[in-house]
Amino acid sequence: MLNKLKCVIGLLAALFSSVSFALPTIQHWQLNNGTNVYFVPTTGLPILDVQLMFDAGSAHDSGKLGQAALTSALLDESAGGLTAQQVAENIESVGAQLSASASRDFSSITYRSLTDEKVLATAWPVFTDVVNSPDFLTTDFNRIKQRILLSIKQREESPGTLAQLALYEQIYKGHPYKNPIQGTKKTVTELDVEDVRRFYQQYYVGKNLTIVMVGGVTRQAAEKLVDDLAGELKAGARAAQIPSVPVVSTGLKVHKDYPSQQTHLLYATPVLKHNDPDYFALHVGNHILGGSGFSSRIVKEIREERGLAYSAYSYFNAMRQKGPFLLGLQTKNESVTEASTALKETLDTFITEGPTKEELLASKKNIRGGFALKLDSNKKLMGVVAGIVVSGRPLDYLNNYLQNINDVTRDSIKDAFRRRVDMEKMVMVTVGNSDTKK
Amino acid sequence: MRKLSATVLILSFFYSLSGFASQPLDANIVHEKVLKNGLKVLVKEDRRAPVMVSQVWYKVGASYEHDGVTGLSHVLEHMMFQGTDNLEPGEFSKIIAANGGRENAFTGADYTAYFQTMEASRLEVSMRLESERMQHLKLQEKEFVKELQVVMEERRMRTEDKPQSQTYEYFKALAYTSSPYRNPIIGWMQDLEDMKLTDLADWYKQWYAPNNATLVVVGDVKAKNVFALAEKYFGPVPEVKFKPVKQRKEVPQLGIRRAVVKQEAKLPYLLMGYKVPVLNSIDKEGDVYALEVLSGILSGGSSARLPSNLVRGREVASSVSAGYDLNARLETLFLFDGVPTKEHTVGDLEEAIKLEIESLKKTLITAKELERIKAQVIASSVYEKDSSFYQGMQLGMLETVGVGWQKEATYVDKVKAVTADQIRAVAQKYLINDHLTVVHMEPQTTKTNAKESQHAK
Repeated sequence: MLNKLKCVIGLLAALFSSVSFALPTIQHWQLNNGTNVYFVPTTGLPILDVQLMFDAGSAHDSGKLGQAALTSALLDESAGGLTAQQVAENIESVGAQLSASASRDFSSITYRSLTDEKVLATAWPVFTDVVNSPDFLTTDFNRIKQRILLSIKQREESPGTLAQLALYEQIYKGHPYKNPIQGTKKTVTELDVEDVRRFYQQYYVGKNLTIVMVGGVTRQAAEKLVDDLAGELKAGARAAQIPSVPVVSTGLKVHKDYPSQQTHLLYATPVLKHNDPDYFALHVGNHILGGSGFSSRIVKEIREERGLAYSAYSYFNAMRQKGPFLLGLQTKNESVTEASTALKETLDTFITEGPTKEELLASKKNIRGGFALKLDSNKKLMGVVAGIVVSGRPLDYLNNYLQNINDVTRDSIKDAFRRRVDMEKMVMVTVGNSDTKK
Repeated sequence: MRKLSATVLILSFFYSLSGFASQPLDANIVHEKVLKNGLKVLVKEDRRAPVMVSQVWYKVGASYEHDGVTGLSHVLEHMMFQGTDNLEPGEFSKIIAANGGRENAFTGADYTAYFQTMEASRLEVSMRLESERMQHLKLQEKEFVKELQVVMEERRMRTEDKPQSQTYEYFKALAYTSSPYRNPIIGWMQDLEDMKLTDLADWYKQWYAPNNATLVVVGDVKAKNVFALAEKYFGPVPEVKFKPVKQRKEVPQLGIRRAVVKQEAKLPYLLMGYKVPVLNSIDKEGDVYALEVLSGILSGGSSARLPSNLVRGREVASSVSAGYDLNARLETLFLFDGVPTKEHTVGDLEEAIKLEIESLKKTLITAKELERIKAQVIASSVYEKDSSFYQGMQLGMLETVGVGWQKEATYVDKVKAVTADQIRAVAQKYLINDHLTVVHMEPQTTKTNAKESQHAK
């Protein structure tokens, strides 16, 4: 069948008018307390994946830096009268998996188990306790706080982490995104268990919650499970909007000395919000610039031509407010000047000239041909759906995805990069051993 | 080559993600065929999505290398992307990308593997390219010089500037005497500096041949078609006569080994390892599965003993874990690593771990604990089916290290059969001081004037 078609179709244009995918359908409903639920039923594997996303990231720390992360880390300790040990034993006795994490925008809880009734009968009530009634015992609080303080200390032995922190500090001056998610030694030391309780009460509420479920259960079963899990949460109030990122007036170079063999270099500026109208042009452009491994310009220039780095890349990280457009590499200390010059030249040329016709064609082929790979497991599907719903994209986003990619042109890429990426205002951070620098 | 661009465009018509909807769980059959030239082909059909992963595994890795040429297998892996008689440097990757594929490669102590993940009908592209570089690699000085720099940067990133990784390197070199596992997979920096293109050419000639490789394909494919394609592209590749691989067994350890490793770090770190057998090294496989379950009892999840007793409980560890790879090619280490809490030293953590081990030697674990580990193993065996890549990994690795891919299917039952008595017995037999290596990493701070500078551009 394929062979017949091969001779008929040869043109890009013909393709997109006639695509009919059987893409996963995202079902949506809302609980009385305002919780938004998105469900994709699958069959084939008896697995249930669930992700809860609360609008409760570290951007809401408001002065008490680290409280979102500490709250999140305490959720699966003691809950509903069960000790941390009992929570873990119950979940793991049926092979279920549970974890919590915080980012700048969100705090998430991720759950995976088999769909077997006995499994759910054991694990789901505990999961429900973790979400609804974490106990925040002082013993747990103190232990987790000490662990986070050690991990803050450990940041100082990683030049890559130091570079990342220094960069956020610079490009988000005057904005909550500038702070480390875990907070600082000083702010975390000052946190007490009441801070965590207050943060939980305010932010872990229905109006702040999005749930994504993917797996081998019926809609009816999914509704029942979600009701049990989140139906009793207070409706609460939506988290205040994260403020816009202030416009940076001028570029900056920041260097931190660190006794490492390599210098870590990051070059960045805030650009992209969730569901941004320039998303597709910037995404395809970045795919060509530094987002597609060996085929990208940055890897060619830095690694393939000059052998300067093992890893060199660029990405747009879309966030609630403008997330960073970031170029990065790490190279031996002696090479940092050569590498930074080549990196900036590569970006400059790309902004000025845009991609070539061949590059655009090749990247579209790659994105289109690789589309199925984004959705080939329940776990990936959950990630994709979560990305769609928290960024406020339409639920038929996947249906139009390839059309949107196809509509990107050399001009739209060049135009978007020119408008959105101003090198004069970018910040370059280097962390490494400047003593050996030539 | 040109034709590819036309065919890729039409694929989208045919893949349908409704494919998520069918495949009974027990459709777990592995199809095997060995070509006349010795290439083993393994296929697992998985129709959940219209994609496939294709992996070529070579029986060569860092543990095949000798002193002075460490890192050869890994540098050769890098060079496999740098051109063949019929492909320019980088062209391999370009073709895969044009077909919507993702690709990469990895080198371990016991294997070197290359893979492509693509829309299922692209399998032929992957086979054609892999058969090309199996026989026609063109090693060129210019690419080699550059790629060697890249690998040195990789080493600096992964090891030199990562205190815990570098400590692990010294730890292995202390723990093993005659076993090649004492050398780092990426190679010592000096050996990388001394490496010559001819070393790589010899290495390629010595190991890259169909009778030293396994092709694994998992995904929305038909075994019959995969075998036909394999015959077409790999069938004509000549086999190579190999000398038998030297055994290089580890000499018996005759007493505890200890060292201190000083690092530019902020937190201390503990590494401990006991010499233990693997599936490959002893006939009594019961011991090996018991050690596997033992590592679960200690470290399999947040309810396991180390997190329960040392992180919570006595609060001596900020983090701690145990690990064991029953599928290593040669005798290996039953490992512990951890970071102590602020109030404790690495010495305290070492003592606490040893107390846990003593308790396992004295008292049988409870039925509840044993059941919990088994439930986790059973659930994980289902979760693994969510990833065709992982399924391919399992088959390829088992086959390549010499255990045999068939062991994958019996793993869960073997684990289920392990008893509390066996666990106590292996703790008593293998986790003994005379076979232990301990390294304490001590953080140092060199005097750098913590300079920080900013300039407006």
